[in-house]
Amino acid sequence: MKTLRIGLALVSLLCMSGMGLESATAAETSAGSAVMKETIAAYYYARTDAKSEIRMRIVNRQGQTRERRLTLLRLDKADGGEQSYYIYFHEPADVQGMSFLVLKHPGGDDDRWLYLPAIDLVKRIATSDKRTSFAGSDFTYEDVSGRDFDEDEHTLEGEETLGEHSVFVIKSTPKRPGEVEFGTRKFWIDKATHLPLKVEHYDLKGTLYKVYETQEIQNIEGTPTITKAVMKDLGNERFTELTIKSVSYDGGITADLFQERSLRRPSPQWIQ
Amino acid sequence: MKIERLTQFVLNHPKLVIGATLVLTLLFAAQFPKITVDTDPKHMLPATSPVRQYNDQVERDFALHPDVIVLGIVNSDGIFNPQTLKNIKELTRAIQETPGVISRDVDSLTTVDNVSSMNGELVVKPALGDIPQSDPELAALKKALLDNPLFVNRFVSEDSKTAAIFIPIEPKANGKEIADKIRSLLPKDSGGDRFYIAGDPVARDTFGAEMFRQMALFSPIAGMVMCIALWFMFRNVTVIIANMAVAMISILWSMGGLIGLGHPVHIMSSMSPVFLMAIATDVVHIFNEFVFRLQEVKDKRKAILETMETVGPAVFYSDITTAVGFAALATGAIVPVTIFGLVVGFGTVAILLMSYTLVPAILMLIPEKHILKMVKAHEEKNQESFSWLSRLGRFCVEKTKPILVIGLVLMAVATAGLARIRVNNNMVNWFKWGSVIRTSDRVMNEHLGGTSTAYLVIQGQEDGVIGTPALLRQIEGLQRELEKDPLVGKTFSVVDYIKRVNRVLHDGDPAFDRIPDTEREVGQYLFLLQSAAKPRHLDNVIDYPSRTANVILQLKSWDAGVMEKVAVRTNVFLAARPLPEATTIKPAGIAYFNKVWNHEVLWGMLNSFLWGLVFVLILLVIETRSLLWGALSFLPLLFTIAFIYGVVGLIGKDFDMPVAVLSTLSLGMAVDFAIHFVSRFRQRLREKPDLKEALIWAVARPGKGIFLNAILFALGFAVMGFADLTPYLTVGILMAAIMILSSVASVIYLPALIQLARRKLVKEDVR
Repeated sequence: MKTLRIGLALVSLLCMSGMGLESATAAETSAGSAVMKETIAAYYYARTDAKSEIRMRIVNRQGQTRERRLTLLRLDKADGGEQSYYIYFHEPADVQGMSFLVLKHPGGDDDRWLYLPAIDLVKRIATSDKRTSFAGSDFTYEDVSGRDFDEDEHTLEGEETLGEHSVFVIKSTPKRPGEVEFGTRKFWIDKATHLPLKVEHYDLKGTLYKVYETQEIQNIEGTPTITKAVMKDLGNERFTELTIKSVSYDGGITADLFQERSLRRPSPQWIQ
Repeated sequence: MKIERLTQFVLNHPKLVIGATLVLTLLFAAQFPKITVDTDPKHMLPATSPVRQYNDQVERDFALHPDVIVLGIVNSDGIFNPQTLKNIKELTRAIQETPGVISRDVDSLTTVDNVSSMNGELVVKPALGDIPQSDPELAALKKALLDNPLFVNRFVSEDSKTAAIFIPIEPKANGKEIADKIRSLLPKDSGGDRFYIAGDPVARDTFGAEMFRQMALFSPIAGMVMCIALWFMFRNVTVIIANMAVAMISILWSMGGLIGLGHPVHIMSSMSPVFLMAIATDVVHIFNEFVFRLQEVKDKRKAILETMETVGPAVFYSDITTAVGFAALATGAIVPVTIFGLVVGFGTVAILLMSYTLVPAILMLIPEKHILKMVKAHEEKNQESFSWLSRLGRFCVEKTKPILVIGLVLMAVATAGLARIRVNNNMVNWFKWGSVIRTSDRVMNEHLGGTSTAYLVIQGQEDGVIGTPALLRQIEGLQRELEKDPLVGKTFSVVDYIKRVNRVLHDGDPAFDRIPDTEREVGQYLFLLQSAAKPRHLDNVIDYPSRTANVILQLKSWDAGVMEKVAVRTNVFLAARPLPEATTIKPAGIAYFNKVWNHEVLWGMLNSFLWGLVFVLILLVIETRSLLWGALSFLPLLFTIAFIYGVVGLIGKDFDMPVAVLSTLSLGMAVDFAIHFVSRFRQRLREKPDLKEALIWAVARPGKGIFLNAILFALGFAVMGFADLTPYLTVGILMAAIMILSSVASVIYLPALIQLARRKLVKEDVR
């Protein structure tokens, strides 16, 4: 943290003394990368394991809604490295028991499994597409489980205040453009918690089409945690509200939970 | 008399009249910079019409983009080669970066996921990711894509020779401009690839742009042709100026008024200038009579006064009937047609006003020596034409019976033709056969599902009803039934998505290419689909509470008739297998829109037409102050219209919007000649009660004015026969034909009829 602050101070100094734009750009990139690394750690790798009870409300332009209730278990091997997710749906009623298992491999394709109780089927999913919708919401799969740090170039655009928070503004541009639907994303990152407060998605033409906003941060067991957020799709005039009803950290989730066979028989200790 | 006092005033202050007209004209002309254009066929119906509102609602409810451009890539050796695939990938990317395009929703092989089953795994990946280079890889890709029924005939043709990119554009964007930009993105060295751009916004906006070009080209040409014809008729520059001034003023007033009131210029109203120019030729009757009178009285002022007194009433009634004929269009429900009718109606009234004010004022200002030259030239020429027309008049009076028989035979033929008229509207056919737009549309319809779209919205009574297997099977059955029509190229609905999931979850086993048996299964598949596909794709076919489903039909023709057949098939199918109680089915989409509109065109036009006939007949009776004379003056008009539409029916030309509108227009215009003929004939008869002599005189003297008017009129319209857009072409040729025919009917057929009914008519007149 300290090194980051010093680095940033240095960046500003360089800029002010006008030592040339190119070196400043390189410095901005390294500063941006540093901030983004912290953010990923704070947002997707908080503590070692976590159990969250999540509610999602998807509202389309006619005002029709879809509700989802799910339990999400997470276990990290190392910050920024491999991690496992287990997602179990309670609601809506007709999908109760549907579950997903994800073994995340940064830098490579994830391992994913799916369980469909209606036909009692476990299926492995091979996919390179992480931009699909998460359970029909406006959050993508990557928004929920994190996008690989190395996929984008992160540059520090500046510092400002957003509401009561003082923030870093980071611009992330995909290194392999055209593989994802956005051209760039712009993050407003809280200096205090490293959590993103706002993310704007711009399409390939530079038009803003999607906005993420953090609506509530709670301190849970000493860890600042986003407990309420919204993703707005401007073009399609729909949005998804995500509320975390409860979170518990480091409750002793073990690796054997994240196995194909536990999809059929979820551990009653973790899934009620 | 009032008219005389008006003429006296004008003759006393010619410069004041001209000055005041100029000032008014400048005021109207000042409105032109505010011009806007609207070529959206949906705007044919008012924004409040239930069809339009429902269509908007369906588009909103199912997140459907109203305006989609389709880019077709055709390669006769098949698209599965590295070069073509690379073109598709690069074009998709470039198109996504084009302003006005809704980037994220561009659907192409590179932007949609293909969900398939491989080695027991569910494989979700872009339909076209990295471009395969080796033959086995290419073959595998081909198989994977053609295996997915959701892709076949949508993204890839069955014969794999065509691929398509679907490009939704923003509501305010101009389809033609985007199409032009896409054309500039096409690779220069394309190998064997050919590219075609189609879709409703392209056709519509290209039409809008073309419309202006054509009108800007043809209005002046029509004007010039008429100037030249006027020169040969009168050999006097002032007459030409006066005639053109009347035309220009009426155009500026009516178009300026339209624009000033904030209305957009639609395809119909864009034709107003040519119509007004043609209607303005009515003032020829004034010039024609003026020259005759001048020879007789040798005094300019007196000649003008006498001319206005004799020709004035005929000009008044012929212009009023024309104005009423156009205004009758306003009784219909089709907004642009209503506006067009009012614009031309207003322009005609302006012409009438000019005939009484500006024309005498200009005539008053013609220097004496020019007049003498004009009279001299006229005298020489007149001798021949007068004697020629007199001979024609004699012929008409003597050969009454053969003329009437020929007329009757023609009417019988026309009636046979009328019975064969086919009402149809097809926007793509507004372009010529070889045009880029029509060729693209044809090629795409040969290879893919179809460029025109319709929706069938199935609305259940309670939430979740669409997820019941029974209803899904019903929808599936309906789709298969509709696909039996060769012009229904593709149908897709939530059924196709569910069947696809069922199959890929069961390792691609074709036995599972069906709707599952339980609602719970359907629910879980739908949940999966929401996560796998772009959410919008599923939103296109089913709503959130699973209460409403949308079946999307791709049609291979823009003919309104296709949608009529779809409706019939749907009804027959559902009559045998009724939907669950309280479940409704309702059509929407551009194809349905065209069908409704087509129907409205028929009835709206027919209605306006009948009203027009009634108005005109009433006016004729008022003008002639006799039921019999009114009816008689009415006959040439009826004859002309029946004959023209009989021919339209016989040659198999579609009775489309331009043709339909013409029917009402021709009304007010074709009757003019009969008005002039009858009114002058009766004046003559009162002066010299010799029927035969009066008829011959009428054929020769007002008859000349009628023929001059008809030729001028026809020439003005005939130039539109060279237009690139078929509505202009149709209007140009038909209108010229109507004018020639109605002049012939008035000058040749009327004398025969008058001869036939002479006892009654003359008795009435003597009384």
